[in-house]
Amino acid sequence: MASFALPGQLFGPPLNTSSVSRRRPKFAPSFSSSTPSFNCELSSSSPSSSSQNPKPLKFVTSSEPFKPLDSVSKPLAFSAAAAAILFHLSGGGIVGGNGGGGGGGGGGGDGKGGFWSRIFSPQAFAREEESSQSQEWDSHGLPANIVVQLNKLSGFKKYKVSEILFFDRRRWSTVSITEDSFHEMVSIRPGGIYTKAQLQKELETLATCGMFEKVDLEGKTNPDGTIGVTISFTESTWQSADKFRCINVGLMPQTKPIEMDPDMTDKEKMEYYRSQEKDYRRRIDRARPCLLPMSVHREVLQMLREQGKVSARMLQKIRDRVQKWYNDEGYACAQVVNFGNLNTKEVVCEVVEGDITQLVIQFQDKLGNVCEGNTQLPVIRRELPKQLRQGHVFNIEAGKQALRNINSLTLFSNIEVNPRPDEKNEGGIIVEIKLKELEQKSAEVTTEWNIVPGRNGRPTLASIQPGGTVSFEHRNIKGLNRSILGSVTASNFFNPQDDLVFKLDYVHPYVDGVYNPRNRTFRASCFNSRKLSPVFTGGPGVDEVPPIWVDRAGVKANITENFTRQSKFTYGLVMEEITTRDESSHISPTGQRVLPSGGISADGPPTTLSGTGVDRMAFAQGNITRDNTKFVNGAIVGERDVFQLDQGLGIGSKFPFFNRHQLSVTRFIQLMQVEEGAGKAPPPVLVLHGHYGGCVGDLPSYDAFTLGGPYSVRGYNMGELGAARNILELATELRIPIRNTHVYGFVEHGNDLGSSKDVKGNPTEVYRRMGHGSSYGVGVKLGLVRAEYAVDHNSGTGSLFFRFGERF
Amino acid sequence: MGFMSQTHVSMASQLIREWTGIQQFPSATQTKLLELLGKLKQDNVSTLTILVMGKGGVGKSSTVNSLIGERVVAVSAFQSEGSRPVMVSRSRAGFTLNIIDTPGLVEGGYVNDQAVEIIKRFLLNKTIDVLLYVDRLDAYRVDNLDRQVVRAITDSFGKGIWQRGVVVLTHAQLSPPDGLSYDEFFSRRSEALVKVVRLGARMKKQDSQGSLPVVLVENSGRCNKNESDEKILPNGTAWIPNLVKTIREVVSNGSKGILVDKKLIEGPNPNDRGKILIPFILAFQYFFVVKRIQRAIKNDIAKESKPMWELTSNSILSVN
Repeated sequence: MASFALPGQLFGPPLNTSSVSRRRPKFAPSFSSSTPSFNCELSSSSPSSSSQNPKPLKFVTSSEPFKPLDSVSKPLAFSAAAAAILFHLSGGGIVGGNGGGGGGGGGGGDGKGGFWSRIFSPQAFAREEESSQSQEWDSHGLPANIVVQLNKLSGFKKYKVSEILFFDRRRWSTVSITEDSFHEMVSIRPGGIYTKAQLQKELETLATCGMFEKVDLEGKTNPDGTIGVTISFTESTWQSADKFRCINVGLMPQTKPIEMDPDMTDKEKMEYYRSQEKDYRRRIDRARPCLLPMSVHREVLQMLREQGKVSARMLQKIRDRVQKWYNDEGYACAQVVNFGNLNTKEVVCEVVEGDITQLVIQFQDKLGNVCEGNTQLPVIRRELPKQLRQGHVFNIEAGKQALRNINSLTLFSNIEVNPRPDEKNEGGIIVEIKLKELEQKSAEVTTEWNIVPGRNGRPTLASIQPGGTVSFEHRNIKGLNRSILGSVTASNFFNPQDDLVFKLDYVHPYVDGVYNPRNRTFRASCFNSRKLSPVFTGGPGVDEVPPIWVDRAGVKANITENFTRQSKFTYGLVMEEITTRDESSHISPTGQRVLPSGGISADGPPTTLSGTGVDRMAFAQGNITRDNTKFVNGAIVGERDVFQLDQGLGIGSKFPFFNRHQLSVTRFIQLMQVEEGAGKAPPPVLVLHGHYGGCVGDLPSYDAFTLGGPYSVRGYNMGELGAARNILELATELRIPIRNTHVYGFVEHGNDLGSSKDVKGNPTEVYRRMGHGSSYGVGVKLGLVRAEYAVDHNSGTGSLFFRFGERF
Repeated sequence: MGFMSQTHVSMASQLIREWTGIQQFPSATQTKLLELLGKLKQDNVSTLTILVMGKGGVGKSSTVNSLIGERVVAVSAFQSEGSRPVMVSRSRAGFTLNIIDTPGLVEGGYVNDQAVEIIKRFLLNKTIDVLLYVDRLDAYRVDNLDRQVVRAITDSFGKGIWQRGVVVLTHAQLSPPDGLSYDEFFSRRSEALVKVVRLGARMKKQDSQGSLPVVLVENSGRCNKNESDEKILPNGTAWIPNLVKTIREVVSNGSKGILVDKKLIEGPNPNDRGKILIPFILAFQYFFVVKRIQRAIKNDIAKESKPMWELTSNSILSVN
């Protein structure tokens, strides 16, 4: 038996030319019979083209090129919504034979109760037609309010259609076009202008779509010269079903319809139907199972049970439900293409899910021409979720993930991820990734002149000597995302030794090989920095303590292993020279202290281990971070644990051997379940935080743990509470969302655990600090800034702070 | 400053003079003192170093002068004493007495850490046999400051120094406030002070119970004298022999003198503590912290709620 299908075509196969009325009786007997052998089958090739290469199954929008993914979701959604469904009821069995008899030589498919066709939603076409025909129209030239058969209309006139009504013969009711689920199959629109041929074409389409057993179109003249169109129909129905099955028919070879010889004997026909049926069975068996979950299956079954008879509307509903699930899950290319096995106990829903047949990675030059890329392909491939590889069903979320992952490589200025139909493999999808690479090398020079208050307070240039930054970057070396980055900053280029800040970084990802899923990155860097030591800070009521600057310069090499986007393990070696200086940049081996008499004595706590003001040391450094925090409507929720260790190796001044460790544990506890989604309110969050720091062995003052400050105990200055060998900080914060932001209250405590005296020279005591302290306060988040009022519990006074960033 | 103190020490150690001042004492006192010195020699003690400490203006220097019998340390009633410790050494019949007078430890309501520091440096490589903690009898109250002073002394020389400690109460010749007998006043005052010392020295109840002797002293020239011209306390005891007697008792109470060495001054080097344990700490950190966090990360990865599309592969869901 022939299979007919009409994909992408307004016109059906030649068969459709047989009159509608002729088809009606053929359907009738088939449906009244209880034969289990009806097949409803999709075929994407029309009989007329069966001798040629089978045409690919086309998505309605497949004529348009797919857009880049970031803008693709709409077109994809559209394509899915507008997807064509092709029904093909290939007749079967005995009754089919009868039908065939009745049908005479009208064509094999027809004879078997037939084939039918398609639900098609042709907005696009309609629009096109409208635009081309919206000029002028002819009056019908007939008396008003008479019913005119389609074939009575004049072939030379352009009729304006004022309204379109559906008349359901079974229900004996009229509905407006927009209210019935069938409206999507009608391409003519109220207000449009159509010729008789167009209206006939429309009827043709409706008749062959398979939704109707019988369909007629008639006009009713209006006084103003327009006509109203009534489409009267009898909906197709089939025997009730109690089973539902969904199969993925994408990429399956199309069953080649065998032309049925009209001169076949009954026996031959039966033989033929049987083989058809067998073929279909085999097809179902061969088809891959669908992704559709059991829950949707059950839902559909429920629908089938409630309905009794399977009707065309019913099938539409099932199709909508199934496609909705696919769409909701992001399977944007999935389409229900056919319902098979109708008139048996089982409804078989055939879906083309959108299997990926190929993944193409392309590089483009600045003009968008395809070119050879510098980046090695495995670097990109390893960023792609496996769901985007060949053999998986295309999912738009996987595409977005790929886009994000590739973007995080920071190698490309433009990234497109496009799915497009595979023309060689029906129902297949080719995923195309188009990339524009960034310039590999870049260099930059920025200069600045410092302005300082001069004589009479007038602003003057500090000097004519310029300061600024010189930086260069060499990215993506060897196409493996290795990079070298260097920068030099000085406030005076003519005298750079004063305050030169330099940095040189080398990053080497994929240490274990680009094909190895283990993600380890090697980093080496030279650095220097200058910081004010919070160890040499006075307690409350202590006048200005002469500051100590800690300069560090050295090299560092480490390996970072990323477990997840946030959790990672870093280990490496650091070699550095630490120099402590006083305000006037002189090397200072001890801190200064203010004597009660007001004088300054230089015999404060020692600043370095060596006692000379310059320490050199090498040590191993490790850091493991576990972070599973995520955002729930903008509020951070989850757990974060960080353990950091500096292990002295006995290499350096005074052979420093130490174990300096810190563990910080933070919990963001969501206090209320909330619905997630854009614009929804974030939940209130309770933050619990603990931080322990300790050191065994040699501890120079610059490595002592300090208490107090915005990231330690809020409400105090940096180091105002003390500098100790072991510290414990505890904090809790309650965040309550208000409008677009949140307010919070917090309580914090920091304690030196009595270990201040174990820092050489006891800087905590020398600078009259408490060694412990608590604070509490409230605050509000204003964009990036936190405004908070914190009360220092040691003195009982409160003050207002503005801070950038988060405390935790 | 430290430098200057050092020179002072070397100078002072060269200047051991004959203890001539002893002859200034009344003969009864002399006899008693020589007798006590003889007893000390019997105990094989030929050198005695006495450290005198206390708040400012309580009569430390006067006590030193009274004890030596000479005006060796300048005393000024209104001015704070010199900011440096002074050691006075006298020898008599093969016996050497070193008395170290120190500046007051309190300045501006706080213990002057720097003064403590200087005293410590001054005492480097000396052995303290006896500590005289000096305060006034005629002060009525003890406060937190007293405790801090005691604590500063304890922190500097260790708890052990109180085994060799004597509480000296000056200005012993007073008329107690109304309604209190002299003895009652004395016992209350000494009780309160001893309590503070014990607290400041972090002494537990049981250790050295009652072993902190309290001695009364009256340095004033108007001090009452007995028939043998000895300075006596209101209760009739001659105080100088009494003080020396108490010192002798403390010296021979079985405890050891405190050798002030570098370690004592700087305290145990906290950088050396526990160094030997570092390999074990490291192993512990690796196996019980790093490994545990790694496990938790693995757990997180397993538990991570993945979107539907990441879970579904073609084989997972099947239809009937």
